[in-house]
Amino acid sequence: MRTSLIETEQIEAHLMQRSEPGDQLVFEARSLLEPELHEKMQWQQEAYRMVKLYGRDQLKQEIEAVHQKLFTQKAHLSFSQKIRRLFINR
Amino acid sequence: MPGFKFLNQTAEEREKLFINLYKNAFPTVARYVSKMGGTFDEAKDIFQDTLVIYYEKSVECSVELKTNEKTYLLGIAKHLWLKQYRDNSKLIPLNDLDIESEETTQASDRKILSFLQTAGKKCMDLLRSFYYDGLPLADAAELFGFSGVRSATVQKYKCLEKVRETVKQKALTYEDFVD
Repeated sequence: MRTSLIETEQIEAHLMQRSEPGDQLVFEARSLLEPELHEKMQWQQEAYRMVKLYGRDQLKQEIEAVHQKLFTQKAHLSFSQKIRRLFINR
Repeated sequence: MPGFKFLNQTAEEREKLFINLYKNAFPTVARYVSKMGGTFDEAKDIFQDTLVIYYEKSVECSVELKTNEKTYLLGIAKHLWLKQYRDNSKLIPLNDLDIESEETTQASDRKILSFLQTAGKKCMDLLRSFYYDGLPLADAAELFGFSGVRSATVQKYKCLEKVRETVKQKALTYEDFVD
């Protein structure tokens, strides 16, 4: 792997607390001395957050698709009627 | 916890999982919401958020499943109902069910997300499978057609760097992004 990818991997290990305690300390020291590395760490954390939001959005769409399937397809009619009956007077 | 962590490699497998969970647990949750005076749409919203929480917890594998699946899902749904619709959350010992509602996802996040979706969907899908779905590297390599774990790893970090740079650039454009 090229150097930058190795560094990205190291940042990940650090952020996810997967590195050895010794490496963890060395990395912390480096991030104090190298503002550029420190900045990369912050943006990488943001990147993970975006991936999580993206994953959640996608998952919600998948769940909504399942809902539509269950409440529109004839094959699931008895199921959908059973649910709708619970809300008949609302 | 053996048996609880489900496999969610492909969209088909996830669809099957959610159909099963819907059939198994939605009637119970809907009955509860109906009894509490809620509507069909409210039951639907509550249940869908419940499924997201359940999925995320199972991927993290941090859930101690003490009862069966249906009871567990109903438990989450009840918490969400009381929290969102009855505003008496102070009385309820909420644990760390931390799903973010749409409202709490900031507008700037939405902008960046929609950019990432159009400009880098392939990377986002790959990263999603690693970090959100918790797919092992070997499985992801197969799913995305890489020759092996090594090339999947390289691609993962390349994508991560790309997203990191995009997030940085976009965030600097949207001033309200950084506190």
